[in-house]
Amino acid sequence: MSGSPQTSLPATGVESGDAAIVVRNLTKTYDDNVVLNDLTFNLERGKVYVVMGPSGCGKSTLLRQLIGAESPDAGQVTIGGVDMHSPDRKVRDEARRKFGVLFQSAALLNGLTVAENVALPIQRHTDLPQSTIDLMVRLKLELVGMGAASDKYPYEISGGMKKRAGLARAIALDPAIVFYDEPSAGLDPVMIGVIDKLIMDLTNKLGITSVVITHEMPSIFRIADEVLMLYNGRFVFRGTPEQLRRSSDPLVRQFLNGDPEGPINAPRQLAELSDRLLGGSRRAGNGDGLTGADA
Amino acid sequence: MGSWVNRQLATLGAAVRFGGAAIGFGVRGLFNKRIYPRHDLIVQMDYTGARSTVIMVLLGFLVGGSLVLQTTPSLARYGPAELVAGVVGVSVLRTLGPLLAAIIFAGRVGAGYTAELGTMAVSEEIQALDTMGIHPVGYLVAPRFMAAVLMLPACTVLFDLSALIGGYLVGVYNFGITHEAWMDVTARFVSMSNFTFGICKSVVFAMIITLVCCFKGFTVKGSGMEVGRATMQAIVICLILIIFSDFVLSMVYNFLVKMRIVD
Repeated sequence: MSGSPQTSLPATGVESGDAAIVVRNLTKTYDDNVVLNDLTFNLERGKVYVVMGPSGCGKSTLLRQLIGAESPDAGQVTIGGVDMHSPDRKVRDEARRKFGVLFQSAALLNGLTVAENVALPIQRHTDLPQSTIDLMVRLKLELVGMGAASDKYPYEISGGMKKRAGLARAIALDPAIVFYDEPSAGLDPVMIGVIDKLIMDLTNKLGITSVVITHEMPSIFRIADEVLMLYNGRFVFRGTPEQLRRSSDPLVRQFLNGDPEGPINAPRQLAELSDRLLGGSRRAGNGDGLTGADA
Repeated sequence: MGSWVNRQLATLGAAVRFGGAAIGFGVRGLFNKRIYPRHDLIVQMDYTGARSTVIMVLLGFLVGGSLVLQTTPSLARYGPAELVAGVVGVSVLRTLGPLLAAIIFAGRVGAGYTAELGTMAVSEEIQALDTMGIHPVGYLVAPRFMAAVLMLPACTVLFDLSALIGGYLVGVYNFGITHEAWMDVTARFVSMSNFTFGICKSVVFAMIITLVCCFKGFTVKGSGMEVGRATMQAIVICLILIIFSDFVLSMVYNFLVKMRIVD
């Protein structure tokens, strides 16, 4: 799987019959900018997938198409056999019942306590009595180590606790799939480790398919069963973390090593910008200037 | 230019769909507690109505009082000063009451709606509701819409009453108009339809305020700075639409009077 982009491009994973998520010819354009370019892939049940790539490569756009937050210009996303972009809202809601999402900001409703946030999807989608809902909420919160904070409001708890509460809400209805949008953003290394362990536990113990959008390298090697690298709207790599580590693809190598110079062009544009802004003084005087700071 | 027109038309279409959904969910939610919890409606009615009481009473009283203070000397030059009771009664019930109550309501409640929902949009809370299969318009906008439609008319009644009392007190104690003369003129000039027309207008104003402010909040993209911008735009649009619809509704009312459909 590793190697040049050309060899790993057509990676479509397993046969669609066994897939949790099936994506066909997904294309998304903003104005004239093609952000997702004809993506076709399957994601198998019960695995942890990490989607990585440089900023602006289309990771978040891909996530928005997968969870139905935006409609693609072309192509199809099927979650558990249900069309995520069906014109019928009932069909879309059925697809939404099959997955949970942990948003980057956790996106807890600030007017509700942690427990009320977790209870919300259960109350809205089941006819269970309140005592059963309370029990389910307590179980989910205990699972993420948040049992003690159930009566707190989101603005009273730390970023890591919010993420864990958001995760408890995402798994409230026992979904088959959980999407994670940059789960480690803004967290300290220990808390990143805690969240990583939760992601692995949910997949290993409950068989949940996890799709994690991140560029946190230690996390990727810790949790991923398979890594997909997105660049310029296409997958340039798909394979195991080990294959990723051994990949000779210049894009992958530059990303893994964090090189400011290479085929990924954003740092180069920055370098040109800093050259223009700082002129000769950058080279003559204080070292690498912007390039060093932003690389 | 063509793409600008297309964008504006698309926004207008989205706003109309949004309004339709808010009204539909608002009414259906009264009978189906799955759409929004009954508790949310009570909380919103408390926030929009009960907590607006003091400002409505205070400003209503001052508006009625200053109307009499400024009108009576001019009126007294051309006729009996007690005619001011009729001027106050008709202008407060037909226009000033509903209009000013709506403007206060837009500033106090509408701005709050845009800021609150805009912040929720920026922090992905609205998106989160959608991915949980909970219609955000039903859950967030419908209880606000119903609360405003119920509470702005109530606020208008309060504002009207306070303005009439304020005007009466200034007229009687400052200009020496007798209680009997004030009541007599009021009864001759003011009809029940003045009052009901004003209340009907306040229902329309409540719909305008909630739909505009909630739509602007829902469509905020980007940062907290955008929330501030959206709030400002929402209030400006509200004021324009409120005053414009007041003008149109007044024409409709005059037409109905002319056709002798109302008196």
